[in-house]
Amino acid sequence: MTKFPNPPRLGGALKLALLTTCLAMPFSITAGEAMAESKPLVIARNLAINSLDPSRAACDTCLIYLSAVYETLVRLGEDGRSVLPGLAESWEANGDNTAFTFKLNPKAVFADGSPVEAKDVVWSWDRLANAQGGMSWLLDTIKTVETPDAHTLSIQLTQPDAEFLGKVMGPNAAIINSDVAEANGARSTKDAANTDTAEPWFLENSAGSGPFVLQSYSPNDELRFKRNEKYWGEPALVDEIWMKNTKDSIAQAQMIQNGDTDIAMQIAPDTAKTMETPEIVVEKAPSYNYIYMALSPGAKGNTVPLTKPVRQAIALAVDYKGVIDFTVAGAGRLQASPIPNGFPGADGLPEPTQDLEKAKALLAEAGLKDGIDLKVKFPNQNYYGVDMSMLMQKLQQDMAKANIRLTLEPMTFEVWLDVVKGDGTPLTASYYAPDYYGSGQFVKTFGMIPGTRWAKRSGAERVEGEMNPKEEQLLNQALAAPEAGRDALYKDVAMEMINDRIIVPLVNPDNVLVFSSAVQGVRYSINEFLPLRELSFKK
Amino acid sequence: MNIYRYIFRRLAGLPPLLLGVLTIAFLLSQVSQVDPLNSILPERMLSNPAAVAAAKARWGLDKSPLTQYFVYLQNVATGDLGVSFRTKRPVARDLMQRLPATLELVVAALLFGSVLGVATGVVAARFRDSVFDHAVRLFALFGSSIPVFWSGLVFLSIFSVQLGWTPGPGRLGSRTAAGPPITGLHTIDSLIQGNWPMFFEALSHLILPAIVLGWSVMGIISRLVRGSMLDVLSQDYIAMAKAKGAGGLRVLLRHALPNALIPAITVIGYSFAYLLTGAVLTETIFSWPGIGSYAVESARALDYPAIMGVTMLGGAAFLLTNLVTDIAYAIVDPKIKLQ
Repeated sequence: MTKFPNPPRLGGALKLALLTTCLAMPFSITAGEAMAESKPLVIARNLAINSLDPSRAACDTCLIYLSAVYETLVRLGEDGRSVLPGLAESWEANGDNTAFTFKLNPKAVFADGSPVEAKDVVWSWDRLANAQGGMSWLLDTIKTVETPDAHTLSIQLTQPDAEFLGKVMGPNAAIINSDVAEANGARSTKDAANTDTAEPWFLENSAGSGPFVLQSYSPNDELRFKRNEKYWGEPALVDEIWMKNTKDSIAQAQMIQNGDTDIAMQIAPDTAKTMETPEIVVEKAPSYNYIYMALSPGAKGNTVPLTKPVRQAIALAVDYKGVIDFTVAGAGRLQASPIPNGFPGADGLPEPTQDLEKAKALLAEAGLKDGIDLKVKFPNQNYYGVDMSMLMQKLQQDMAKANIRLTLEPMTFEVWLDVVKGDGTPLTASYYAPDYYGSGQFVKTFGMIPGTRWAKRSGAERVEGEMNPKEEQLLNQALAAPEAGRDALYKDVAMEMINDRIIVPLVNPDNVLVFSSAVQGVRYSINEFLPLRELSFKK
Repeated sequence: MNIYRYIFRRLAGLPPLLLGVLTIAFLLSQVSQVDPLNSILPERMLSNPAAVAAAKARWGLDKSPLTQYFVYLQNVATGDLGVSFRTKRPVARDLMQRLPATLELVVAALLFGSVLGVATGVVAARFRDSVFDHAVRLFALFGSSIPVFWSGLVFLSIFSVQLGWTPGPGRLGSRTAAGPPITGLHTIDSLIQGNWPMFFEALSHLILPAIVLGWSVMGIISRLVRGSMLDVLSQDYIAMAKAKGAGGLRVLLRHALPNALIPAITVIGYSFAYLLTGAVLTETIFSWPGIGSYAVESARALDYPAIMGVTMLGGAAFLLTNLVTDIAYAIVDPKIKLQ
């Protein structure tokens, strides 16, 4: 071994490195404080924005954005049921919900100061339908819209639609400044899907009448709002709101503990539990989103017929309360049918329960005493705090107790879509978040009615006796019914969907909002998700 | 060979190599068989024939794969990498916006990893089997074996949350607005603008992610340099240098280190190219809007234009890094000839 008599001295170098680091740290803190003059309100969340174009946007952050920057004719009240004036100061419907009249508030102006007029409403809704974006179906019951004057809209529908006001409240039905948008490539004509070129413009500009305007957007980085200085209603309570893309739940938690964010929207419930201090508020609010299991009698991969009794056996094998504890640390609710808690028709439905003996008995009656093997393809994502892989492992454990053996095959959401669009999969799981306030959407998505998403995906359309015409009948009755009788009709549809055993809701996770005690006005809303107009710093 | 001619010759060889990379990436995207409309259209609209037809026409998916390929090549030749399915913006713009963040992080991480790795490797070799040597080897082992997502979270928890020594995630404080971009590298831009508070803020945000990312590189470099140094230090010419009266430090740094650096240069070069698109975990933990997270998000969403763009960037980075590495070899070791 080579020996050196005079080893080099390292003390100086180490000292220099430490000194540099120590010098940089206090400087950085001072700089941060010095630059926070106009103190924006900061929100940490996984942005996951697909578009900022009102006619094309379809994501949770999009709902927050559209509700803050644009406005709809009417708004949903804080109670989640009442209808409040928006751009329309008054409205009325005829007896069978086929005709609606709206009177626009003459004070309403867009952010450039120009008045909001009936022509803007017609243009915005035409564009929503014709651009073929994610929500183009939203107002598909409109037959004609007449504008007798600049502030009046008379709307005729093709069929009774008691949920029309609920749809009009949807952020995608927001009213766009048509002159500004047209000047930047937006089109509302029938060929808008091919001729409209404004989507990139909407990523950098807004053309609404809401309390905020778009300040800047950097994909997967941040979304900034600035107060609309020309807002015609009560002005926003903060100058600026910056939404920071923070995907990781722990990173969100660390940001709020550091004071780097004022609100964190996606902290895992078990982490949130440990965070409450005098400076940090943790609030759980019931949500309307849910995770469900779907059983497909028509899937090509079925090794045994997934008849209704077999599907019932599968549903009975699930430990529903255990699923909530396991996936969201107890921060969730049981949900009986595809109509989520809080929506018309959901009250008083029987809670789902586990009954392993009955499950085994049903399988034995179906000639499957030795149990069944099912291949399960599912999207390996995290939806509303629920890790789908963990959820499916829990189902695997539960069902094994009833001799239902699951082979799990996780995949990305896009690949999974190909599977369910094609051959299907005997058992899978996914999520649903309401598009507007109204229960019809759940029946039109999950009901065993020709053409619905899950009638197709489950292959029920191809299997004798799996379709349920009664659901369509009840839905049509509900859409034409006065408010007083509507809940009962939706409850009947919900019972039918429970008995279909195609869609089995597993968990209705709570919304966990973690925020600084210096902030007020933080609440969850169906349409707006987080109403930015209500946020402010405590004085 | 003249170094300029060598560089020119190597650069001239880049376009055909990139064409090969693009062609393979395009073929792979065609082989995947998953419908790209799944990432373009919202779930509900996939069953709407009018929406599907409109989306196919808008994104050129109604054309044959061969036509798509040639249209793409034609566009790439003019600097147009297409529009991302996911962000709805030109891919070239997305990449240019994210590249500075990644460059800033990767350069800082490599500086930390290389300087510390080389220094600890040299000293560990010099004091072989000493306590210092064992400590360095243990530190290097941890660096190269602890997953970055874990060390990132732990470092954030200790230095940012518990001790408050470093700021939290992000390139700047969450309430700090960056000035108008010049290079896009916040540290450089703030220096150019003479904005010292911004410089120190950007630097302080860089410390933790650079250490976390650089630690893994440091671990590899330190072990490589230590091994090479031990090998070199046992060579005859080292004994000769000492016999001629060269001092210990001179022998170590002047005679031994340059010869021991060759493998480290390879690792540094490779790490630079790899981290340019592969620092995804660090970028996620530290909310760093760089190329790595863009690549993974694009891959998950089957955003083919973005995937192709990142592939091309990664390919170019590897090819250029190879060139720089080869030149560095010749500079460090005059026996190596550029051919």
